[in-house]
Amino acid sequence: MPPKVPERRARHASGAAAALVAALVAAAGCVLAHAADTFDLAHLMQMLAGVRSGEATFVERREVRVLDRTLVSKGRLEFQAPDTFVRETLEPTRERIAITGDTLTMSFAGRRRTVPVDAAPEAAVIVEAIRGTLTGNRASLERHFEVRVSGTPAQWWLDLVPREARLRTLVQSVRVGGEQALVRRVEVYLSDGDRSFMTIEPKPSPNGDAPRARP
Amino acid sequence: MRRARGPDAMRSPSGAATVVVWLVACAAAAVVAARTRYVADLSAFLPAAPTSGQAVLLDQLKSGVASRLVLVGIEGGDSPARAAASRALADALRAGGRFDTIANGDTSAWRSTGPFLFEHRYVLSPAVDAERFSVEGLRAAIADTLALLGTPAGALVKPVLMRDPTGETVRLAEAMLPSRAPRVEDGVWVSRVAPRALLVATTKAPGSDLDAQEAALESLRAAFAPSAARGLRLDVAGAPAFAVASRTQIRSAVERLAIAGSVLVVGLLLVAFRRPGAVALAALPVATGVLAGVAAVSVGFGQVHAMTLGFGTTLIGEAVDYAIYYLVQARADGEREGGAAHWLATRWPTVRLGLLTSVCGFGALVFSGFPGLAQLGVYSIAGLVAAAFATRHVLTAIAPHGAARPRGRAPPQPQDRAHSPLVRAADALSRARAPLAALAAIGVVVLAASPSPWHGDLGSLSPVDPALVQLDAALRADVGAPDAGTLVAVSAPSLEQTLQAAEAAGARLDALVDAGELAGYDSPARLLPSIRTQLARRAALPDRATLAARLEAATRDGPLPASRLQPFLDDVEAARRAPPLERSALAGTPLGHAVDAQLVHDAAGWRAFLNLQAGAKPLDAARLRAALAGLANVDVVPVRAELDALYAHYLREAIVQALAGGGAVVLLLAWRLRSAARLARVLAPLAAAIVFVLAGLTLAGATLGILHLVGLLLVVAIGSNYALFFDHLREERSDDAPHDTLASLLLANLTTVVSFGLLAVSGIPVLEAIGRVVAPAALLCLVLSAAFVGPRANAHGRMRAS
Repeated sequence: MPPKVPERRARHASGAAAALVAALVAAAGCVLAHAADTFDLAHLMQMLAGVRSGEATFVERREVRVLDRTLVSKGRLEFQAPDTFVRETLEPTRERIAITGDTLTMSFAGRRRTVPVDAAPEAAVIVEAIRGTLTGNRASLERHFEVRVSGTPAQWWLDLVPREARLRTLVQSVRVGGEQALVRRVEVYLSDGDRSFMTIEPKPSPNGDAPRARP
Repeated sequence: MRRARGPDAMRSPSGAATVVVWLVACAAAAVVAARTRYVADLSAFLPAAPTSGQAVLLDQLKSGVASRLVLVGIEGGDSPARAAASRALADALRAGGRFDTIANGDTSAWRSTGPFLFEHRYVLSPAVDAERFSVEGLRAAIADTLALLGTPAGALVKPVLMRDPTGETVRLAEAMLPSRAPRVEDGVWVSRVAPRALLVATTKAPGSDLDAQEAALESLRAAFAPSAARGLRLDVAGAPAFAVASRTQIRSAVERLAIAGSVLVVGLLLVAFRRPGAVALAALPVATGVLAGVAAVSVGFGQVHAMTLGFGTTLIGEAVDYAIYYLVQARADGEREGGAAHWLATRWPTVRLGLLTSVCGFGALVFSGFPGLAQLGVYSIAGLVAAAFATRHVLTAIAPHGAARPRGRAPPQPQDRAHSPLVRAADALSRARAPLAALAAIGVVVLAASPSPWHGDLGSLSPVDPALVQLDAALRADVGAPDAGTLVAVSAPSLEQTLQAAEAAGARLDALVDAGELAGYDSPARLLPSIRTQLARRAALPDRATLAARLEAATRDGPLPASRLQPFLDDVEAARRAPPLERSALAGTPLGHAVDAQLVHDAAGWRAFLNLQAGAKPLDAARLRAALAGLANVDVVPVRAELDALYAHYLREAIVQALAGGGAVVLLLAWRLRSAARLARVLAPLAAAIVFVLAGLTLAGATLGILHLVGLLLVVAIGSNYALFFDHLREERSDDAPHDTLASLLLANLTTVVSFGLLAVSGIPVLEAIGRVVAPAALLCLVLSAAFVGPRANAHGRMRAS
């Protein structure tokens, strides 16, 4: 970590005067304690980045204005650091969307299409919201969104608002909620008033790659 | 006729008649030359194709969309500025009318197309069949459409949901989704690897109309001027940019070469003769040769390629030789006989034999598959024969005593002649025979030990600046333009048959796409299905009552009740009555341009090109052929392999031609010299010169191709002249003017070396290849002829055979 060098220098300098040492130690302790208490984006990202892969099932409810009732779909999610994300819908119709790097592959009953994600910014915005969060890719998230973190490590929310005005005409905001290193909820608020709420139930990781506790 | 200053040949009736004939012929040739169409595109080096796959390829290269695709990069400034410049440029190009398709990622340009596609969705959607309009099919299709609602994509579906609940518009859009598209930023295409906005346009003008393409590129630059004023830069690549750039380059190089060649040769002659009159005389055969060459090519080919004129400078160097031989060798001096009659009796046979060997060499080119090389052959033969004729009949008539000696220089005395530096140099060279032969043997060893340098390709013929080639590759990668890997070509006599064949091929390709072996492909049948397919889709639409009943069943208990879908019933009913979509209905629309870009129409019928987008790993031609097996009118064209095969074919052809030309020269010499020993002596310097030049080029790391081979043929054709003159000196032991013979050879050689030397630094690869072989080899031929063929001077200053 880059900040180590000035830190060490500070300690070295502090060796000159005992009083100063005591003061500095106290100050450093203060700073550390403070950092641990304040849950920020860096912390959340670090926590999320610790999880290299995962599988989950989801239930998604969509409220669409033109329809009389809520649409419900179910399926499974899968991700693999650094850049693979799969969403497979099992009900009501089968459909699989797999993203690796910049390549999005859609598979429907027997049909298959491949497109570059960044060629369709409308699609990219949702992809980056979910994949960026799952992999703890802070740079990617901040490139696409105004990011705001709230809550505590035990129960956090990540609010993402697209930076590009053109995208905000489609997607107002994306809200991702989680517990520790697990993403449990994705809420998408579309600009036309439609909304979707996805709840995620993680599968226990078979290789013991359990969510890491706070570092 | 010891001093042949008697009756002037000009006044003799036959001489005058000859001059008149010559003048009339020159006038006729001048008229033909003035009416000739001069071209400077690359067509001369696109061969007349032998196989059907290559025909497709050349079709595509000459007039297909590949020949019209312009790739534009906008650099400088920040991303929003580049995006604004991209939109402004696209608008200007659309208004300008010189371009068909203009794409920069800005979907607003397609806004007018949306309603058209929507209106015709039931004949365009690949999903429409009887099954889709069954209860089960409707239920599944509606579920698929609903799955998009509540996602960002839903915004596109929602406005038309009640008219298109089965999502035919979505299927249509999905089929047209490019598997390789550029990144979109600020609403326009941008590069993934560099800060630059991208725009792709196709010129209306085909690749064969370079003037119109040049005008289109000019208008593109002009349209960008306002953005350029704001500090943005424009990069233009693509086939039209290549073609226009190479034409400009060829033209300017040819002009430069013609001027530089003339100036240098005239300068050399002035230094040698010191009399403008003599230089003017020497120019007569040259001018005659150039006129005759241009006229012959014009009559034979209907046009003259600028590249052929580029070689014209070498003709200057060759044709002037005859004049030099005559003007120098025919001049009398105090002791010996001079004059035209004497020259015709003693030297003309040697010059004539040299001319015949040159004609044999160039003659092989006439049969070349490259129109450019065939033109060069015809041009050179006609030019050399005319120049020799002008020397033999016209110069002898109007300058019966050759050129006067340089002012203030007395004819050399016999002793001086024996000790003239040229005679001494020739003598010294003839004594260096053994070491030179040893050196040639080392050259053979070097050649045998080195890896073969013969691996040129078609690209090596292109004069395009490598920086432009790099830019083109970068922009091509940015926009995901189909690379010249493999394409599927479909051809048939009628448009309907061609579209049907494209659909049949498309069905097979869909299977490859679904299996993940192919990322995607383009087909004109997506936007314009065959009438047969359209009618089949229309027939699959049920009548209103049937559809209403099925819809009722399919939507029962669903989130979208049938009662809200009356607009759907109306639209399907309307589609059942609508006539099928014809190509004419698309004319002038972006869709029409997109369809036309994938079709070529000519006298033979219609051809459609299905560009393939490779999946994760490239699909080989054999797998593709297997997938398309049994389909009529469908060809798989592995572009790279075909181009390589094309080049290999022409290299083989050139080897055969070179061997035939060389063989003809040897036979001719054998017939005229009538002695195996003389033949071997005459051929030895040519062979050694070729060995030295090849060894030199190999050691220098040059890549050799067809044009180098052609250069070697010219070396034989030109170099044999020197060897023959040394053979003449050796056989005619009583040669009365070795100094003048040697002087004329040296001057002739210098003009040749200078003109080919200019080619060697012309910047046009085709010309450079020949120049770099011929210029050093011609010099070597003279030196080695002196060494291997020339006689040695004896103590009395006369030359003797060694």
